Amino acid sequence: MFEMIGGWLQRPNYIAFVLLFLWGIYIMVTRYNLVKKLIGMYLMQTSVIFFLVTTSAKRGATVPILLSTTDVIQSEVYANPLPHVLTLTAIVVGVATLGVSLALADAIYKKYGSLDEEEILKRLE
Amino acid sequence: MTRHLPAIFFLLPLGLAICLPFIGIKHREWCRPLSIGVLATMVPVSFANLIGVLQHGSIHYDFGGWAAPVGIEWVADGLASVMTVALSLVGLVCITFLSSVLFPYLGSRIVPFYTLVLLLIASLAGMVFAGDLFNLFVFLEVSALCAYALVGLAGGKALVAGFRYLILGTFGASLYLLGVGYLYAETGTLNMADLAQRVPPLVASKAIGVGVLFMFIGLGIKMALVPLHGWLPDAYTYAPDRVSPMLASLVTKVALYGWIRIMFWVLGAQAVVYQIPILFLVGMLGALAALVGAFLALSQTDIKRMFAYGGLSHIGLILVGISLGNQTGFVGGVFYLLNDAVMQAGLFFWAGAIIHLYGVRTINDLGRLHGGAGWMSVALVAIALSMIGIPPTGGFFGKWYIVLGAVEAQNYLAIVAVLIATLLTLAYFVKLFERVFWDRSAQQPPLIREIPLAVRIGLGATSVAVIVLGLTSDFIVSFLLKNAVPPGL
Repeated sequence: MFEMIGGWLQRPNYIAFVLLFLWGIYIMVTRYNLVKKLIGMYLMQTSVIFFLVTTSAKRGATVPILLSTTDVIQSEVYANPLPHVLTLTAIVVGVATLGVSLALADAIYKKYGSLDEEEILKRLE
Repeated sequence: MTRHLPAIFFLLPLGLAICLPFIGIKHREWCRPLSIGVLATMVPVSFANLIGVLQHGSIHYDFGGWAAPVGIEWVADGLASVMTVALSLVGLVCITFLSSVLFPYLGSRIVPFYTLVLLLIASLAGMVFAGDLFNLFVFLEVSALCAYALVGLAGGKALVAGFRYLILGTFGASLYLLGVGYLYAETGTLNMADLAQRVPPLVASKAIGVGVLFMFIGLGIKMALVPLHGWLPDAYTYAPDRVSPMLASLVTKVALYGWIRIMFWVLGAQAVVYQIPILFLVGMLGALAALVGAFLALSQTDIKRMFAYGGLSHIGLILVGISLGNQTGFVGGVFYLLNDAVMQAGLFFWAGAIIHLYGVRTINDLGRLHGGAGWMSVALVAIALSMIGIPPTGGFFGKWYIVLGAVEAQNYLAIVAVLIATLLTLAYFVKLFERVFWDRSAQQPPLIREIPLAVRIGLGATSVAVIVLGLTSDFIVSFLLKNAVPPGL
């Protein structure tokens, strides 16, 4: 038991990821304000991006640009660039999603005069 | 030239989607003919691609000339090529229908509207060809973003439905991305062919197990598998009547296709995660979806909502078919998927047409249709026969092969599920027929005398297509058996 918890504590990044992810879901589920829901959604998306970056982190490694073109390439000197590239794309996707969602929230506010989900559902009937 | 056809197929709608906002500044009326023209060009391109694939084997297209495991690869094999043919044909009919004069004039919003529709088609093509898990994610999100915006376009209740769709869809996409991250962390690759080499020996590891589960739940939300379907009924009911056929027939089906890709081409049919065979799990969920969807459809009074729930039940049937673990069942499932794309398009064409021709939204008002509605009745009967599964329509043969596969696999639960779902489908269509053909209480002439040409094309094409699919089912199924069966099945 203690070994397991000790093992977890060695990886604070993953704990942070799990907390952020669950926190995002918690906000999405419990808040009635649409913008707050979006904040939760964005937190969740960001936590996944954080996870991707964490998997590529390497102690003592540098940016993946070759230090020398003549030496044999040592992979442990460089960080893995691929997750960063995925992250960039995922951030762009996240921003686009946020843009569409804010536009929808704005249209809902103009139509129903409220951002509170219960209030909106009441007016829908 | 043949080698470039997958890219051309994708670039046609994408190119026009990028140009359209500029063209639309001066010539708003060009949007419609240009969009239909591009979709009409995609049809021969998809057929040429299919023929090329049959003659020379699968096309592996490396973007930018970077070879597969490092670069981004697109794979056009038998299954993907068949899917693109279906995508271009259904897309063409849908875009013809949605440009009908029946629907309210869009004014200046016509330019973004057609841009979104073309982007949706392009991203679906990208999902079909993607040979890379992350590429699949990007196209999944592009298609989903277009779908959210198109749903919200109707205003009013559709905004709230679209917002809910967005929240749930993004949650699904995040779970999928997380699953991809797990698989990458474990195997160090994202290419599907490469993963297929590296995953099977590692499939017992926790990271793969959890990653696959996350990916499945994520795609399950996107394909509206029953416990995760919360967004779909509202979104499809309140979506503009002109776009619901396209959304219903294509978006969920392509997400399902993505899952088929991952399940059979990456994990392998025999994959076992946490002592549970994945195919078994998928089959159980599919049977549940088939029954629950049909039950819920039976209890609806809003016509579009009823069809939306019917679509949920059909997603379940497709999953039952592909999860049987033999070639007959798989091919039956894929054939049913093609049929379902046509049937969902046809049903929502019908629903959209009667809403605007007769002002009928609920089943109780359907009595108004009686008499003088030849087109509407014939189309409804043809598509309903296929939905229920009565020969000689495609729906019957799809279910027939699924049941044959279930007999082969000795999976009697699947047979029972298919039969009960069929009976329930029959029940809700009888409910519909009763009003359309026997209720004379509220007869009234249509709001518009003449059924517009685009609506006739939409209804005619889908009604003919379900019967043609049925009559040529032997050919299509043997073709799929020869060219589109995953390795190791």
